[in-house]
Amino acid sequence: MALIAALAFSVTAAVAGTVRSGTEPGVAVDSIVLGGTAPLTGAASRYAAVARGAWAYFQYANNRGGVYGRKIHYRYVDDGDNPAITVTATRQLIQQDKVFAIFNSPGTATNLAVRGELNGGKVPQLFVASGATTWGRDYGQYPYTSGFQPTYQAEGWVYGKYLARTASGSRVAVLFENDDYGKDLLGGLKRGLERSRVKVIAAEAYEVTSTDVASQIAKLRASGADTLVLFATPTFAIQAYQAANRIGWKPKHVVTNAAAAASASMQAASFGGRNRLVNGTISIQFLRDPTDLRSRKDPATGLYRRIMKQYAPGANADDPLYVYGMAAAWTAVEALKKAGKDLTRASLVAALDTFTAMGNPFLLPGIVVKTAGKDHDPIEQMLLRRWQNGSWKAFGGLWAYPAS
Amino acid sequence: MAAFFQQVVSGLASGSIYGALALSIVLIHRATGVINFAQGEMATFSTYIAWTLVTHHGFSYWPAFVVALVVSFLGGVGIHEAVIRPVERGPRIRVVIVTIGLLLVLNGLVTWIWSGEVRAVQSPFPARTIDVGGVAISWQDIGTIAVCLLSVLVLGAFFRCTKTGLAMRAAATNPAEARLVGVRVSRMLAVGWGLAAALGAVAGMLTAPSVFLSPNMMLTVLIYAFAAAVLGGIDSPVGAVVGGLLLGVGLNLLGTYVDFVGSDLGLPAALLVILVVLLVRPAGLFGKPRVRKV
Amino acid sequence: MRREPLRALALFAALAAVVFVLPAFVNDFRAQQFAYVGIYLVALTGLNILTGYAGQISLGHGAFMAIGGYTASILMIDHGVRDIATIPLAIIVTGIAGVLFGLPAARLSGLYLALATFAIAVAAPATIKRFEGFTGGGTGVNLFGIPELTASDAPLQLFGFELDFNNWIYYLSWTIAIAGYVLAWLILRGRTGRAFRAVRDSEIAAVSSGISLTRTKVLAFGISAAYAGAAGALFAVATAFVNPDTFPVTLSIFLLVGIVVSGIGSLQGLVAGAVFIVFMPLWAQTVSKSPGAPFVVYGGVLIVLVLVLPGGVAGLIASARRLTRRRQDFPKP
Repeated sequence: MALIAALAFSVTAAVAGTVRSGTEPGVAVDSIVLGGTAPLTGAASRYAAVARGAWAYFQYANNRGGVYGRKIHYRYVDDGDNPAITVTATRQLIQQDKVFAIFNSPGTATNLAVRGELNGGKVPQLFVASGATTWGRDYGQYPYTSGFQPTYQAEGWVYGKYLARTASGSRVAVLFENDDYGKDLLGGLKRGLERSRVKVIAAEAYEVTSTDVASQIAKLRASGADTLVLFATPTFAIQAYQAANRIGWKPKHVVTNAAAAASASMQAASFGGRNRLVNGTISIQFLRDPTDLRSRKDPATGLYRRIMKQYAPGANADDPLYVYGMAAAWTAVEALKKAGKDLTRASLVAALDTFTAMGNPFLLPGIVVKTAGKDHDPIEQMLLRRWQNGSWKAFGGLWAYPAS
Repeated sequence: MAAFFQQVVSGLASGSIYGALALSIVLIHRATGVINFAQGEMATFSTYIAWTLVTHHGFSYWPAFVVALVVSFLGGVGIHEAVIRPVERGPRIRVVIVTIGLLLVLNGLVTWIWSGEVRAVQSPFPARTIDVGGVAISWQDIGTIAVCLLSVLVLGAFFRCTKTGLAMRAAATNPAEARLVGVRVSRMLAVGWGLAAALGAVAGMLTAPSVFLSPNMMLTVLIYAFAAAVLGGIDSPVGAVVGGLLLGVGLNLLGTYVDFVGSDLGLPAALLVILVVLLVRPAGLFGKPRVRKV
Repeated sequence: MRREPLRALALFAALAAVVFVLPAFVNDFRAQQFAYVGIYLVALTGLNILTGYAGQISLGHGAFMAIGGYTASILMIDHGVRDIATIPLAIIVTGIAGVLFGLPAARLSGLYLALATFAIAVAAPATIKRFEGFTGGGTGVNLFGIPELTASDAPLQLFGFELDFNNWIYYLSWTIAIAGYVLAWLILRGRTGRAFRAVRDSEIAAVSSGISLTRTKVLAFGISAAYAGAAGALFAVATAFVNPDTFPVTLSIFLLVGIVVSGIGSLQGLVAGAVFIVFMPLWAQTVSKSPGAPFVVYGGVLIVLVLVLPGGVAGLIASARRLTRRRQDFPKP
């Protein structure tokens, strides 16, 4: 027994000796400081919910002992979705607040703006809240950066495969946001449709500065398509339903992503059931949906609601963005555990190099967060679901995006 | 050809939204000589009030509409009394900055109170569309244009035929002389803010069923509304509406038939319109050119 | 009377000395924040020449900063020009852009000018995004990790001293800020400055005393835009990243806010305006982190400032000075 203890001690000491435990920024005996940016102001301020959800989960985890006795302090600051402010705010978090890692900041351009600097300074950019393909694809060049959610390309691919299988011969029209987000989704869709009898016959872009998308929808209708795909943010996706309905266009399938996340958005789009077009819409999901009636009695949903009630009172717990934040925070706790008692930035990145986390209560059952070898897209499984009579109903098994 | 006319119709629909907000910009400019950058956010705020009354307090549409209008009028007067009046006589730039401050406060308040979620707002018009030779026209769009034109008539009559209207015009164009003939200038300016706020509320309620209610609903509409107001003549209610409609149709046709513009250059194109109009005919299409005395 | 400029000069030298030694007394990150203060000071000095002295309102100076920022970024990334060398080029390019914009804009006044300049601020991001091949589109241009061109990645050797990135940016921006400030003072006290003020105070009187309105206004636009170009280039170097969203409409608005807070038509308060731009948003979110709340605080403070400080910080300084002078004058009637 004493021998084992001595052995264990010497191993720990050896590890500790190489990394000079205790000098790592943001790590103390009883705390870990994480930082992040989030849009608290401006057009993207909805996404502040992600940070607030994560914060709530960390509080919950802290009250249950934290990670190896260390409480996680998560500090998020406003960037108004402006990359220049993301840069200065992130520098402040690192240079002044001495955070251990940057965690789950939303946005693509905002994260791109700080990626080089974070990797240069060997600061982990943990679970970026964006589905751009670059996070996983360029892991070799930027090992300190990790993505989280399914990539936009993977999501588009699932829609493509689904349409190829079930709607052979249909002609697809796409409305997409004119940036990496919309273009990645469109690229994925086209890839999923390769070698099938389904064709994308029209694609119209809109700008985030547009006031409405009626003109685009009229153009898409004129193309003679029978399937409408909406790769748009909630406001514009909802507007698209409305615009199509107004000009009497009734495409066979409608596929969306972002609008679908919150069932409140779909309710808004269906105008109290008056817009029939919304019925039958297909979308993907990878997070647990707090509004899903079938999982209402689920212990995981119960846990989510309890945490929200206790640590984010007054917030709208039906908003899945809070679930997103908690899912990321849960995974961060797992990653910090795996990184070991002698936590360093390097040990965290090493822990994420080959990483598997099962049983995330905020993801759909069966979804595994996994990275290994060249595959550095943590979440690649998702479920299709259909909007019917005022709520989402999942169907079929989990889809997995093939590692490329 | 149907596709062309469908673009025209959808352009008219967007244009009526620009025109509706442009009307309140014109009103406040005409009544008080101020360009109000917070006009869009005031409209959004009013629309949220109506939405809350309908969704959470069991109001039906029209009572909620009336209450929102009254609250907006009082809010407009209150804003004038609290923050505009003290800076009204100084340099213009200070008024501009105060309205920018208002824009930030109201935008933040709306997000704070009602969150950033997108809401559906009931429309007073039937949800149906009519089909004219393959071109679908919705009642919502017809209704919006009709309300805009009606507002123009009411405003025109108000400014031309009522005592208050005349007094307001006098107070805005020449406060000193207006005061001499017994116009209570400050009260007139306050009424101007109130009316503009109420008209903005109408614009918000007309806009929300189409673009849906969110805190930033009016942020880009405001820019198009400025363009519309300048195009039509910043002092002309008719100009505001016609300017809005022209802008809406023009942008749709440019976006559809000129590849270089596409969707991405829509906004710059609108602003180019502003610049060109300002240079060629500063008074706009419907404004009366001012004579500069030298 | 002779003592006034001397005293001003001494005060100025003292301030410059403070600026020079400041990084030694604050932490690394603060040095960088103060570097941004310097950058905004450059932009505000230029904007104040146009708006405060020549009386031409601009709600579009963020667009000129964008031109400067992109000029610097593209020169660095596509042509391998060192960061410091891009600044003069950015000044020239943006100055020309200012003159080109000023030519038509000189015919507009007051409100119409406000709208026209607002239009360019709004149009700039979309236009930058559209010409993707040239500007990098929405993805933007990353300036990090080119140690041979800028100090963002590795410390810089200068006259035997080693300057890390924060200090490098600090001294670079403040050198330009102080030089720009002195230059502005020289311009404004001379004939050009008199012409600016004449146009501001009364266009009719200016014309009758032989001043060309168009030439004066276009010159003001050019000079002012050149300052914005320098600020934009510094901004790009300091941030090491540009994309269309880094120069939003709000930037133009905040610049105007900056000169109103400093005091329109006075150079004295400008540092306060720059401090306001950098620190006010940070402070606003310490009050409440609820979504939307920082804007409420920011907007509220702005309105209150405009109401209680009609002359901005410069007005405050002036009245404080009047107060002390009166006290000095009192014993010798």
